[in-house]
Parts: sequence; structure tokens; C-alpha cells
Amino acid sequence: MLLENRYFSVLSEKRGEGLSAVYRLAILPECNVYEGHFPGNPVCPGVCNIETIKECAILLCGEQLRYSSIKQCRMTALATPSACPEIELQVSMTPCGKGYTVQATIADENRTYMVLKGQFDKS
Amino acid sequence: MTCMTTSRAISSIEKLIPQRSPIMMVDELLRVDGYECTCRLTVRDDIFFIEEDGRMAEPGVIEHIAQSASAFAGYMAIAEGAVEPPVGYIGEVRNFRLFNRPRIGDVLTTVISMGPTVAGVTIINGVVSVGDEKIAETQMKIFVPED
Repeated sequence: MLLENRYFSVLSEKRGEGLSAVYRLAILPECNVYEGHFPGNPVCPGVCNIETIKECAILLCGEQLRYSSIKQCRMTALATPSACPEIELQVSMTPCGKGYTVQATIADENRTYMVLKGQFDKS
Repeated sequence: MTCMTTSRAISSIEKLIPQRSPIMMVDELLRVDGYECTCRLTVRDDIFFIEEDGRMAEPGVIEHIAQSASAFAGYMAIAEGAVEPPVGYIGEVRNFRLFNRPRIGDVLTTVISMGPTVAGVTIINGVVSVGDEKIAETQMKIFVPED
């Protein structure tokens, strides 16, 4: 995993029906990505949250996954490691072709940061 | 709108984008022509999104496209007198398709087509190639807060 225990760590996992779960995550402020995004102004890169969704999906299904497509990913609020040290990531997957369709949301008590619909291939 | 075509980098990339290592993912803005530009990145092992197999994770390709658009926006802002490049954020990724993951040593050549800007939001289209092979494409909304 590229980002688990580097950009985020899993605090808890609550599995739902089928292939779905809610992950409570800590955003790790010491991650080196903030040296460059941006110097003196740490902002969570939206693409790191996209990768975090994939890594939680891998934890959920126990298979290696790659995004083959993202139909839509809306980034609805800026996240920073100080303003949102903990987030909740909801993910649900449905088998489709040689992979899964995925729907995911990242939010905390105050706002929604990301809503994603995409497609994983097994790798 | 300034139009120019060159085989050499137009300006130091640090002047055009605010991102820095380890998530600086454009080396050069090569060409600006109207509402289109071309950027280049040679994939190195010190990039944040390189995985253990020496290839780039998929979101790294999205970030490269976003920073290519950022370099274009930075070029235009500086042409209009700005001192610092604007800090923009991805508002939406739409219809991203990845055909092949880049590997260390690949040279990514990315063409950005920029649409109109409404209320600080610009729609862009990006196509990434390695040599003659298209490896990824996406549409994106880039948001630049006015603060």
C-alpha cells in the first residue's frame, strides 16, 4: 500500500451488507506530501484521497485493485490535516466484469470532502 | 492571450506551479498555443506516487494532468502580471480513463485544452501520452479561490 500508515491510518472498520464498509481514518500530518502541497500551507491532495479510497477498497475485498476509470469524482471541500485530523470513508463495491464498480464518500461531522464513482480492475 | 510554440521550456516550472517535491509532477511547459498547451514529465523514482513495482499509482496520473493545467494557468497569470502562480484545486474529475500505468523513465507528454472560466472554475481536458501511446485521459474542473 502506498499511503496506509504514511498519509492515513485506519482507526476502525465497520463492515456493512455485501461489499461495503465505513472506515474511520486518521489523516497523518507528518506525511511528507505536505512538504510540497503546499510549502507552509498543508492541504490534503485530492488525489491522495482518491488513492485512500482504493486502499480501503483493497482492505475490504482482500484483492489488489487498480482504477481503470473514474466516472465522476467531486471534491466538495478542501481538507487539511489540521482542520480534519479524522475522516470517515464509506465505500461500497459491486462485482462487474473483471473488477468492481465502486462508490465512495469521504466526510467528517461537518462536511463532505469527496464523492467518487469509478471502476476497479483486479491487478 | 499569448500564443507561442517552442521546443524549449517556456519558463522555470517553479515559477508556474506552487507544488514542490515530492509532489511536483510537471518538469516543463513546452508549448502554449491559444487555449492549448503541452507539458512534459520524466517519471522519476522520487515522485510521491511511485509504487514498489516502479510504476505510478493511478491518482499520480490525475495529479500530473492537474499540474499541467496549473502550469498553463500560471503561465497566463504571469503573462498578465502576477508575481506568484495561482494555487488551484481539483474540483471534479470526470471520465478519467487509464490505459497503462507509467513506469520510471517514461516521458509523459500531456496536452491540456482549456475551456472557459466561470466563477473561478475552469473546465479542462487532458490527454497523456508516452511516445505514440495514449495512456490516460480525463476532464477536470479546476477551482482557483479568489481570497
